[in-house]
Amino acid sequence: MRREFHGLTVNATAGAVARDYFSLFNIEPSFTVDEITLEQVYHSLLSQFHPDRYAGKPQVEQRVAAQLCADINAGYRTLQREVSRAQYLLQHSGVDLQTAEREGVGAEFLMTQILLRERLETIAELDQVEHQTLVDEIDEHYGASRDRFAEAAQKAAWQEASRYWQEMCYLEKLVDATGSRGR
Amino acid sequence: MVLLQISEPGESPDLSLTRSIAVGIDLGTTNSLIAQFDGAQVRVFEDELGQPSLPSVVHYGAESTQVGGAALALANEQPENTIASAKRMLGRAREEVVDDPYASLTTDGALAFATDQGKKTPVEVSAAILDALKIRAEAHLESPIAGAVITVPAYFDDAQRQATRQAAELAGIKVLRLLNEPTAAAVAYGLDEQAEESSLLAVYDLGGGTFDISILRMRAGLFEVLATGGDSALGGDDFDREIAQYAMTQLGITDPTSRQRRTLLSLARHAKQALSESSDVHIDGSGLGSDVPPLSLTRHTLETLIEPYIERTLIACRQALNDAGVESVDRVVLVGGSTRTPAVAQAVAACFGQTPLSTLDPDQVVAMGAARQADILIGNRSDNDALLLDVIPLSLGLETYGGLAERIIDRNSTIPIARAQEFTTARDGQTGLVVHVVQGERERVADCRSLATFELKGIPPMVAGAARIEVTFRVDADGILEVSAVEQQTGARSEVVVKPAFGLDELDITDMLKASYEFAAEDMVARKLAEAGVEAEALIEGLRAALAQDGDLLDSDEAQTLQEEMARLEQVLQQTDVETIRERTEKLGRASETFAARRMDRSIQSALRGISVGQLDAESAE
Repeated sequence: MRREFHGLTVNATAGAVARDYFSLFNIEPSFTVDEITLEQVYHSLLSQFHPDRYAGKPQVEQRVAAQLCADINAGYRTLQREVSRAQYLLQHSGVDLQTAEREGVGAEFLMTQILLRERLETIAELDQVEHQTLVDEIDEHYGASRDRFAEAAQKAAWQEASRYWQEMCYLEKLVDATGSRGR
Repeated sequence: MVLLQISEPGESPDLSLTRSIAVGIDLGTTNSLIAQFDGAQVRVFEDELGQPSLPSVVHYGAESTQVGGAALALANEQPENTIASAKRMLGRAREEVVDDPYASLTTDGALAFATDQGKKTPVEVSAAILDALKIRAEAHLESPIAGAVITVPAYFDDAQRQATRQAAELAGIKVLRLLNEPTAAAVAYGLDEQAEESSLLAVYDLGGGTFDISILRMRAGLFEVLATGGDSALGGDDFDREIAQYAMTQLGITDPTSRQRRTLLSLARHAKQALSESSDVHIDGSGLGSDVPPLSLTRHTLETLIEPYIERTLIACRQALNDAGVESVDRVVLVGGSTRTPAVAQAVAACFGQTPLSTLDPDQVVAMGAARQADILIGNRSDNDALLLDVIPLSLGLETYGGLAERIIDRNSTIPIARAQEFTTARDGQTGLVVHVVQGERERVADCRSLATFELKGIPPMVAGAARIEVTFRVDADGILEVSAVEQQTGARSEVVVKPAFGLDELDITDMLKASYEFAAEDMVARKLAEAGVEAEALIEGLRAALAQDGDLLDSDEAQTLQEEMARLEQVLQQTDVETIRERTEKLGRASETFAARRMDRSIQSALRGISVGQLDAESAE
């Protein structure tokens, strides 16, 4: 019976965006975010609206605070990391990410990415020097895509920006695969 | 079970006059404690004999129920009626605890112990322990407690946390927050207030029968659990057994009676405790038989005997450091009575390269931290205190096509958190689907822990991929999960609050509550009525104050609706029907939700005043 019903597939980037995180955190919709300010705002919001502050209040206030706090946490997580911030900025600017994903990245980038991945797979685990060189190289590529994204976003060239955002996604996954660190 | 509400000054003066009493409870596997912070210091409440620890043992005899030491005393006589270590089975399915020595589990689906008083679930056993603690504290305080912070191990999953909450509900205790045990230990030492910079902390907790190691990162009131590890069958009891075995060999006892065995274990425990202070002790063997000579035991011998066990804890420590991705920590805190053994403290010091914090009683430190936090939550202190933010220890997700787990909420997300993800159907004409909620980091569902399953029906038949189903995961501040699924076009909806896989449902709890108050039915009705009345009045008063302050946030229709609901509730307050009052309170609560949300949105603006740095100025036009 269960098999009968079972069957879910993921719509990768479709997700409901209920609250405007930029306005929640009182910052301009932009890719450039002052991380220190962001964290300050985050802490100040949490310390006022965390459900612990409503432990003795009527249930209705507890519920609303919990929801608000969930938004604050989700918003911080989204805005704090570059790739998710870029994605959010695109959505916020009305870009249809599914269309953007269908258009994809350029063939040239795809090739670069495949070559990097192949190299990663062939490096022997013990060769730390070679590994580090590759990590640095991926990092450099990521930095370049990020800077291009920032530039395109600044000019509101969203189609272009969407492509660079996807490059960032690819490269972030590569960084994860190197096991060096998350971004 | 209702909490007296502490309103802001001036809102409802009659309720805020008294200092509310909130307690901290360490619900342990072997022992439990209850403590209160009175504004100056933490008091751990003792029993009539001056014992702060209550053995976590419950005896369900044909005649009576005993909790604590009295129950422990009956353990040998009636093992089947005496339940110890119920915490190990809290929120667990039967197949997960097959290796447990307690064989009296019944097989009809639920995990329960068969006793002379019928089936008893781990939740009920825990509730009995909590109830005994509550009675003890209320006797000392000569006043009912308004709420409690209850500690749980950091690795407790959703089902285990939910089961702990249920136990508290059964015992009539309002849970202010479930707090991770290592976090509580850090709070007891005031480390949450010191942690300006990001710092790393290891909490080494060696109790009677369990060992836990947790690596935490603290940053401005945020406690992040980086890694947990340990051994659920390793503790001071192993030390006792080793000493007893050694004594048997030395004394030439080959086939001890069960009485001799118990005496040996008791002698061993006393010898171990004495050796924390002195370098050698004499074990008086006269209780073992008339011709048994005394035996000498040196600290050195003890250390040789227990060395393998200590080494096992250190292996777990190194593993936890590795899992956390760190090489060292800034602080180490010792928890659990077995850390009093000098060899343990020395080994920990050597392992982490520093002297661990051990100035507070290691048996009481968790309860003390919980008590401090309870006092903050109940609102007795100014609100500038650090906020303890927990993260969820394991990722949450659901099963997608092909038995793969799709992560919805990542591990280490700060809670509370909610996240929605859109899914679609896999086959043409699919009209329903099963949402299978799982927990874990692995890609395949088979490797994750299954938390709950529920069905969403009523999806209109469409080609595969056309339906849009939004699944929302919500985790509250205690780490308890609620999942809902909505088909966007039809609005078909289904949801589940994740309950212990083999725990109790709401109905069971209501039944048990009724049963436990059977003999005081009238008292209970009166109590419930009073509680419902207090809650209703507090809601009305709070709303009045809110309307006076922020009434402009509602249009005239909305304001009128709210006034009408308030009037209706006031009307039924004159009655004596609890259910009607509750229903109306709930209705008014729902009706005022939008208002509450708008008020909070308004206060967001004032919350941000004062951190107007850089880009913030640009927004001030809004």
